[in-house]
Amino acid sequence: MTAIDRQMTAPNLARRPDRTARQRRDTRTAFAFLAPFLLLLLVFQYLPLAMMAKNAFMDYSLLNPGAAKFVGLLNFEDMLHFDDARESLAATFLFALVVVLIVIPLGFVLALFLNSNLPARGVVRTIIMLPVVTSAVVVATMWNFLLDPSNGLINGVISLLGLPRQPFLTSPNQALIMISVMTAWQQVGFAAILFLGGLQGVPKELAEAARIDGATRWQVLWNITVPLLSRTTLFVVVIMTVFSLQAFAPAFLMTDGGPQDSTNLIVYHVYKMAFVMQNAGYASALSVVLLLIVLGISLLQMWLLRAKWNY
Amino acid sequence: MTALRKPLALTLVLLLILACFFAPFLWVVSNSFKPQLGIFADVTPISWRTFLPLEPVLENYRTLFERTNILRALLNTAIVSAGQVALTLVLCAMAAYALTRIRFRGAKAVFVVILLTFLLPVEAMLVPLFQVVSGLGLNNTLLGVMIPWIASPFGLFLLKQAFEELPRDLEDAARIDGAGHVRIFVSVILPNVKVPLLTLGLVTFLFSWNSFLWPLVIAQSPDIQLIQVAIAQQGSPTQLPNWGETFAGATVATLPLILLFLLLQKYFTQGMAMSGIKG
Repeated sequence: MTAIDRQMTAPNLARRPDRTARQRRDTRTAFAFLAPFLLLLLVFQYLPLAMMAKNAFMDYSLLNPGAAKFVGLLNFEDMLHFDDARESLAATFLFALVVVLIVIPLGFVLALFLNSNLPARGVVRTIIMLPVVTSAVVVATMWNFLLDPSNGLINGVISLLGLPRQPFLTSPNQALIMISVMTAWQQVGFAAILFLGGLQGVPKELAEAARIDGATRWQVLWNITVPLLSRTTLFVVVIMTVFSLQAFAPAFLMTDGGPQDSTNLIVYHVYKMAFVMQNAGYASALSVVLLLIVLGISLLQMWLLRAKWNY
Repeated sequence: MTALRKPLALTLVLLLILACFFAPFLWVVSNSFKPQLGIFADVTPISWRTFLPLEPVLENYRTLFERTNILRALLNTAIVSAGQVALTLVLCAMAAYALTRIRFRGAKAVFVVILLTFLLPVEAMLVPLFQVVSGLGLNNTLLGVMIPWIASPFGLFLLKQAFEELPRDLEDAARIDGAGHVRIFVSVILPNVKVPLLTLGLVTFLFSWNSFLWPLVIAQSPDIQLIQVAIAQQGSPTQLPNWGETFAGATVATLPLILLFLLLQKYFTQGMAMSGIKG
């Protein structure tokens, strides 16, 4: 906004009528420049948002949306009565939690490595970014085979170490953990890049001064670097959480939400309800819940980050 | 990081990183050049043969292109991604110009309207978006696949930031010469933001090429199938279809992006670091 403020003080205030004519012309020009963007934004963001809010109170199918019936809060009551929504949300939260718990420390350590003056930094950066630029579909396909009980690479490594082969995706106890590990594997490079941005903003003088005062490297890391990166860390946690809450490909491609619904991630559940079960009203209600959860997380983040101590 | 100064420790850490992040790719690509039984034979016990095709065969690629319509899917995806990049750049640049270079009433309100959409989780909008796009008759069209994402709030922010950094003197001279907004936009502003445009183009391409859930629901007819959907339908380890053929498909679907990434890594990384919300 600074650019606009600067202009507001500068132009000629001398001839008023002239100025308003120009102002009107400028407003018209501005909206001409903005029109295509705003039109698409209204049609593809705000209109769906309004429809979603309305459809959550309807009973209808996508095959015949014209025949929608108003059912009040029934969809939300169903969500409370049946276990599917609760279980799906629980699985999704657990999935996101495991992803964050892996990605944050590993991403941070990798960022420290990238920010050091050790050799091979460039190679490491390229390699950890490969999964990030690879699509969720290809990653899921790849891991489907990596995790295969009989001929998968990971079981190959496990048996090389003399340990018993694992079922992974067919086990209700392991499937969710494995798709979390896979997602963390894919996203850790992205987290490292974000942490690296934060690290590069930490003034070197602080660490140097502490070192001169006799602090060990660990003390500098724990007492200076980590606290100074709290804003970046919160940011990365929120991004990874919001991203994980919307994961779809692992459930669709690797587990079909199973075994025993243990990986029935919420977006997959919405997809199934809307496009397979043709219960679009219920799917809309689930979507509203997901939307509110994500909005809540984003607002919490904004509140926590409101201009706290800056360095 | 002190311990890492010892060469042995550093080497071990590097090998671990290679094993975790690179070996899976190597396994998939090298297996795409092996027959099914070769893949199975080479995985137990693991040795260097697991990661190298000693007698490479092109069989998997031949059957992939003959049996499936992957070529069509690649072409469709290239069209969608190119179109999405071009339109995103044009629309976002125009909007960013209006918000940074023209003084008008309501600029703040417009900005807030755009800012709010940043908070909306994309995947939660799936069902109503499907209804809007099919209501417009755009389901099963390539335009329908790309059109919801063109007005990208992320793209607008990225370019708005870049536009704000340009000094005002730049356009003042042009204005004195009588240039209007269109000319200033095209011949003064745009030539000075090539790097941000490239960055946004790359991130948009990545997002578009890799998107899956939206094409899955909106482009169901085989003629306009996109690459990620085609790969997703290829098969899982338990179904009979050939592992090697699936690996060949995954390789083909990923290669264009990896090459682009290796060539323009700096801009990719910059764009990702700025994106925060990744598609």
